[in-house]
Amino acid sequence: MSPRRVVALVRRDVPVLAHDTTVDAAVRALLDSDLPALPVADARGRYAGIFGEREFIGALFPRYVQSLGYAGFVTQSMEAVLDKRRGALREPVMTYVNSEHVDVSEDVSDIALAETFLHHRVLIIPITQEGHVRGVVTRADFFTQLAGRLLDEGSG
Amino acid sequence: MALAIVIFAAALAAIASERVDRTKVAMVGAILVLLTQTIDQEHAIEAIDWATLGLLAGMMIVVRLTEITGVYTYVAIRAGQLARGRPFVLVLLLAGATAVLSAFLDNLTTVLLVVPITFLLADALDIDPIPLVLIEVIASNIGGTATLIGDPPNILIAGATGLSFGAFVVNLAPIVVVTFLVVTGGLYLFFRSRLQIAPDQRDAVQALDARRSIEDAAELKRLGPLLILTILTFFVHRQLHLEPATVALAGATAMILVTRQPLEKALAGIEWPTLFFFIGLFVLVGSLEENGAIEELAQGVASVTGGDRTAELLGIAWVSALGSGIVDNIPFTATMIPVVEELQAGSGDDAYWWALALGACFGGNATLVAAAANVAAAGMAERAGAPIGFLTFLKVGIPATLVSMLLATAYIALRYL
Repeated sequence: MSPRRVVALVRRDVPVLAHDTTVDAAVRALLDSDLPALPVADARGRYAGIFGEREFIGALFPRYVQSLGYAGFVTQSMEAVLDKRRGALREPVMTYVNSEHVDVSEDVSDIALAETFLHHRVLIIPITQEGHVRGVVTRADFFTQLAGRLLDEGSG
Repeated sequence: MALAIVIFAAALAAIASERVDRTKVAMVGAILVLLTQTIDQEHAIEAIDWATLGLLAGMMIVVRLTEITGVYTYVAIRAGQLARGRPFVLVLLLAGATAVLSAFLDNLTTVLLVVPITFLLADALDIDPIPLVLIEVIASNIGGTATLIGDPPNILIAGATGLSFGAFVVNLAPIVVVTFLVVTGGLYLFFRSRLQIAPDQRDAVQALDARRSIEDAAELKRLGPLLILTILTFFVHRQLHLEPATVALAGATAMILVTRQPLEKALAGIEWPTLFFFIGLFVLVGSLEENGAIEELAQGVASVTGGDRTAELLGIAWVSALGSGIVDNIPFTATMIPVVEELQAGSGDDAYWWALALGACFGGNATLVAAAANVAAAGMAERAGAPIGFLTFLKVGIPATLVSMLLATAYIALRYL
């Protein structure tokens, strides 16, 4: 796959969340976007991380849950515990953002894109230019394109 | 000698500052004493206590393989459930489980396993988790004092002296039990207003299914007997003419043979930064010894105490507690071991080592930076959104250490003087 074909996957009409957007607003934007995650920009408008489904789950549940090696012994929903976390919806999205800098430039190759998806548990990869987000590539789109290409070749 | 002292003092100061990773500091210090030829390579390698490293590595593998079974989580949850919402019983059982696990695993691992469960229990019971976490950390440092493998200072002392597992238990466990009860009781009284559980919350943790915390029952059946056998063998290693490191590595090897976990996963349990920290320290202390600094320090201590055994024993205990609180009990113990060897002068009087163990291990409770378990608990608390500040820890750490050391002093006086 040439860089040109990767570029074809870039979604450019993606909202970029500001660093001080509340979690509540971020989740609404996420639902409206039909994407599993959105890029977040810092105060200078530069790419700062990703906020998506996984980060929302992290915000909604107590933070110690991530420190538990296993939680299969919690067999009932802990409504009261979740109620206590409602305040998280008013917190800035930056508190929960995945700040691992996973981004690529527009001339990324398919191998580089595959390597990035394989090494990082992200569902989108922002395309950046000089630190600013220009669009995103989703793992689902990449998969669909790869699968379509291979199946076409197989049937041909 | 001056250069060896300067490099060592700079390394200690850097470790105490917590601004640079302690392993990096120890490695840089070790390389500096080698590059400046303060110690030659042959003596540097001789200064490394391979028995200590073997014991640490063996136990790291044992703990890594068994923790995946979920058995330690089970212990913590059952401790919480058995309390049935009674705050004092909850504190006693959680602290007791932490202390016992610390004695037979190591206190850092225990804290890493128990603290997240404590947050969960506290959330379910709707109480402040911080008092429980602080009590557990302090209990882990006290509990780890009881055995040869429970706390790094004891592992270092055993490596240097060859004292047996049984000797550690016989000499340290009695005072550890008393100290645990007094300090835990005192901390409960201090925190009791923050540990009140509403009547309608008391059964909240009973809903947890502790049995389901056993993630891999088949693995537990394979490894559980080997874990018990390893611990039991520690008690009789002297009679079997086996060194503790051999026991730990034999246990680890047997577990590697029977486990279904990949070898890489088992060996990933070895905390290389910790081992390199120890290697760096051994070389640094070796350079002090090589250049006569330890001998001079010991002579200085002897001149202050006038060779009086009582003054020396109590001096070692209290100075170790103070030093461990300021620096970190591992480098402090590594430094004190050759000093104590000089003071003891081959008399075979083991009381000196018990005084050092009590001071260094109990001193680990004085400040947030005094023991690795304290730092780990603070890190987890911060990630959980309930940070434990240096002063917050100090408010309970200093009184707990003072009480522990007063009890240790009485014990030393009654038993060894």
